[in-house]
Amino acid sequence: MSKNIKLWIVHCILVIFVIITILPLVWMLSSSFKMNSEITSITPTFIPKTFTFKNYLNVQKNFNFLRYFANSLFITVVITGIVIYTSTISGFVFAKYEFRGKNILFSIILGTMMIPWCVTIIPRYSMVLAVDGLDTYLAVIIPAAVSGFGIFMMKQSIVTIPEEMLEAARIDGASEWFIFHKIILPLSQNAISSIAIFQFLWSWEDYLWPYLIFSSEEKQVLAVGLKNFNGRYGTDYGGLFAATTISIIPVIIVYLIFQKRFIDGIAASSVKG
Amino acid sequence: MTNRDTLHKQEIFSLKNIVVSGLVLFYIIFIIIPISIAFVGSFHQWNPLKGTYTFNGIENYIRVFNNELFWSSLSNTLVFTFVVILFRIIIGLGIALILYSSIVRCKTFFRAAFYMPVVTPLVAVSFIWVWMYNPQMGLINQILGTHNNWLVNKDTALGSIMVMTIWKDYGYAVVLFLAGLYSLPKDCYEAAKIDGASGVKLFKYITLPLLKPMTLFVVITSIISYLQTYIQILVMTEGGPGTSTYVTSYLIFDEAFVKYNFGYASAISFIMFIVIGMLTFISFKISSEKGGQGNE
Amino acid sequence: MSSKAVIILAIGLPLNLQIECCKAYFKEDIMKRFLSIFLAVTLLMTLVGCSGEKEAEKEIVNDTTAEKNLPILGDNVKFDPNILINNGEPIEIEFWVWDSKEIFQSIVDEFEAIYPNISIKIVSQAWGDYWTKLPLSIQGGNGPALFSVHNSQHDNLINNMEPYDIDIEDLKADFTGVEGHVIDDKVYYIDYGMMTGSIFYNKDMWAEAGLIDSDIPETWDEFTKVAQKLTKKDDDGNIIQAGFNYNSDVKSIIMGLNYQKDQLLFKEDGSTPDIDNKIMNENIQFLIDLYDEYGVGSKDFGISDAESFGQGQSAMVYKWGWYYNQLSNDYPDVNFGVFRTPVPDENVPFAYDRYNGESTIGISAKADDASKEVAQAFIRYFMSNNEALKELCIKYSIFPSKKILADDEEVINHPVLSTIKPVVDRLIWPGPFPGIIETTLQQSFEDVIYNGNDVGTSFANGNKKVITDMEGISFTSVEKKYKHIDNK
Repeated sequence: MSKNIKLWIVHCILVIFVIITILPLVWMLSSSFKMNSEITSITPTFIPKTFTFKNYLNVQKNFNFLRYFANSLFITVVITGIVIYTSTISGFVFAKYEFRGKNILFSIILGTMMIPWCVTIIPRYSMVLAVDGLDTYLAVIIPAAVSGFGIFMMKQSIVTIPEEMLEAARIDGASEWFIFHKIILPLSQNAISSIAIFQFLWSWEDYLWPYLIFSSEEKQVLAVGLKNFNGRYGTDYGGLFAATTISIIPVIIVYLIFQKRFIDGIAASSVKG
Repeated sequence: MTNRDTLHKQEIFSLKNIVVSGLVLFYIIFIIIPISIAFVGSFHQWNPLKGTYTFNGIENYIRVFNNELFWSSLSNTLVFTFVVILFRIIIGLGIALILYSSIVRCKTFFRAAFYMPVVTPLVAVSFIWVWMYNPQMGLINQILGTHNNWLVNKDTALGSIMVMTIWKDYGYAVVLFLAGLYSLPKDCYEAAKIDGASGVKLFKYITLPLLKPMTLFVVITSIISYLQTYIQILVMTEGGPGTSTYVTSYLIFDEAFVKYNFGYASAISFIMFIVIGMLTFISFKISSEKGGQGNE
Repeated sequence: MSSKAVIILAIGLPLNLQIECCKAYFKEDIMKRFLSIFLAVTLLMTLVGCSGEKEAEKEIVNDTTAEKNLPILGDNVKFDPNILINNGEPIEIEFWVWDSKEIFQSIVDEFEAIYPNISIKIVSQAWGDYWTKLPLSIQGGNGPALFSVHNSQHDNLINNMEPYDIDIEDLKADFTGVEGHVIDDKVYYIDYGMMTGSIFYNKDMWAEAGLIDSDIPETWDEFTKVAQKLTKKDDDGNIIQAGFNYNSDVKSIIMGLNYQKDQLLFKEDGSTPDIDNKIMNENIQFLIDLYDEYGVGSKDFGISDAESFGQGQSAMVYKWGWYYNQLSNDYPDVNFGVFRTPVPDENVPFAYDRYNGESTIGISAKADDASKEVAQAFIRYFMSNNEALKELCIKYSIFPSKKILADDEEVINHPVLSTIKPVVDRLIWPGPFPGIIETTLQQSFEDVIYNGNDVGTSFANGNKKVITDMEGISFTSVEKKYKHIDNK
């Protein structure tokens, strides 16, 4: 009997935590379909009394949210693509080649991940100013093109690819580039997926750097747009909830689809590290 | 190694050379140079708007240490970091242990649910919590039946932000600890059980020490991340009420991009860099003191 | 974030753990294909979806006719449109604003209609972002040629601004208050109007409480009584309707209160701020008493006064003219009225309140000559365009500096401006003091009311902070130029 009670208690605790975890997101979703008067009334409700899509329509009309969304998507996808490539090729070099200073360079790359953003953000901003790179996509994409985390992950993964495969290819006359593109890349798909998802999520939510760089509305990203929206229409709560939902739901959907692989990836990389 | 080398043609533009030079170039431009600029700049009266860049020795640093706001921001940052890490580990480990036990089903579902807030964008989530804390229409007051003005009351402001951060990040600890638990060598447990150990003893003397590397991992990543907390403060309280929820990143941003004191802000950044380094080092030290690596 | 985690590798974990990790990697490259297709499709859809949203960009062509047969605008400051700008060659410039994009857009549209070779692109950004990016942007030389100015940022902008190419005497003939903006015989921007604070009240709540027009208070004592009548509480004593709400905006009202009692913002030397004094303490205490002793509101009820009034939860708020615009846009359902800010007693106060000049547009000194030519022409057009100026003033409840507009019908009958007109020369201007002062005032007040610190200490600390923060800034107040300075 005590085993059943234990089972019951344990599941209860877990369910409570699930509720606490999910509740704010559900509340946000439900509120985005409420009328403003219902949201701000002194006697609040949870499920909308009058269901309305108006908030979402207004968000697009007033604030061109799709533009921000597209910008974020564009930048995120481009950065993710570039990072995948640079990480894999760098990981390949670190895993399968020798050169002077290899260990030093690798340690530097790892070490730089500990550097706080506040140290580099001011000089980088001055550098962008100096080359007149303000308000350009390049200024946001290029500094993010190389990821120490990505390089590390790919190195760990490529190291496990048997040397014999590469030797066989070389004997057959394959160039290093061929080996990279036709052998290494296809074999590293798992690690690549992990990095891809990570980088995607990180670029998607990045706020400070795009904030400093972009001034025109056409190029601004979602995270900054959301904050601006809150500033300008700070009282249109329905709209705010709708805007926030738009910022979060796609991420959650992607997450739910890929979560098993994603979580396993993190777990693996940290167990090892 | 030499076999490989003789098989290759020694080219200048080999894949290896291009990649290595590319990496070196990138890191010089985007890391080494900026850090040097920041470091050198922190010894100057540097205002890009006025175009001033005059050497003033360690004056910036002295000003930082004399600045009351710096110390209150630092203490807020440290308190925030410590408390959130503590809860992240306790809750994370607790839930991981529960999930690990064989009587629980649907583990992947729970794991996925707990991790969800981690992937949500911080800006958006901060907004949701601001509205949840709203004294008139927020969810928190509705559920608890209180009328508190959480984010504007100095006693509860920082704590409220901490709660939000714990909510968002504990799933990460759950996943990691779970992975750690799964990778623990089973034979240790067998041996211990044969020796008569059970329950709490097993946990205290075997599980905990074996999880040490994972705990250290969580602690260090959390330190690096939380000592630079910025977004939550920006969105939820703007450092208020008054300046009671100022954290060092917020101070740095204010000094740099509102007052254009680039030199002064760089000085603060470097001090924070050192603080992060020190805390990381201390964490290592503490963990290696107590028993070191896992035992066989 | 685990991306920083890698440093731990250095510890060197036992080999078996390292092997475990490799096994944990997941197979299934179907997922990867899925992901890329999904993303590609979404990307495509959204880009297609919003390509239709792009504003039609103006096509610029050569302007070949100087003589456009258009009338000359303006009174003393004149604008003759019958010229060629930039030799008629196509040119594009940027114009940054933080608000009123629509009004400026309509002015720009008219201007562009006259000059087919010119395109002015308006970029609008939120207030905070605007001031983070604008100063460095124009200094770098690649920023906008035209930009909206606010005098609290004077110090950050003035070094990179180009003087107006307009005769100062003409300016003085058309506008009031020009003298205060002359620097070394040059003018970089002037005020197109004066903005100050008033009390906005909810007419429905007023009627509900049984109040009538003659109950409109003129002294603070009368005000307090009225506020009490407008306050509603529930059975537990919690406020459900605030009679008066000043949350999040004490910085605006407190300076006005101080001026009413002869207290200047700056000391004798004109550059040291003085926010730690007896009058300040008195007035802060008065505000706190309004909540605590007279119970007309609460620091926890309606954390933003502007919002609370708009949501119909507070009966009265003290707001500056721009609020008139926000009410019309965001809260059209509120039936509001306006009356002049009360004064301490029945005597005429030293000053009824302070005002701030709303600044005209600035020109970047680092723009190239062609852009500057366009900018100067646009400025002249703007300054001689009475309709546009009037529209801005009406929208934001700004009392126009253009003399001819002061007697305009619409201005005289405007709910806010009609209360200001009678006392217009009893409003004092401290000068373009930096925004840091207001921020510190608000922070110090919050320190008292939310953190429970003592008034004297908080404002003493605030005073110290402001003095430190203003160290690099050379500012001299123009309080001494106030007409009635001797009537203290």
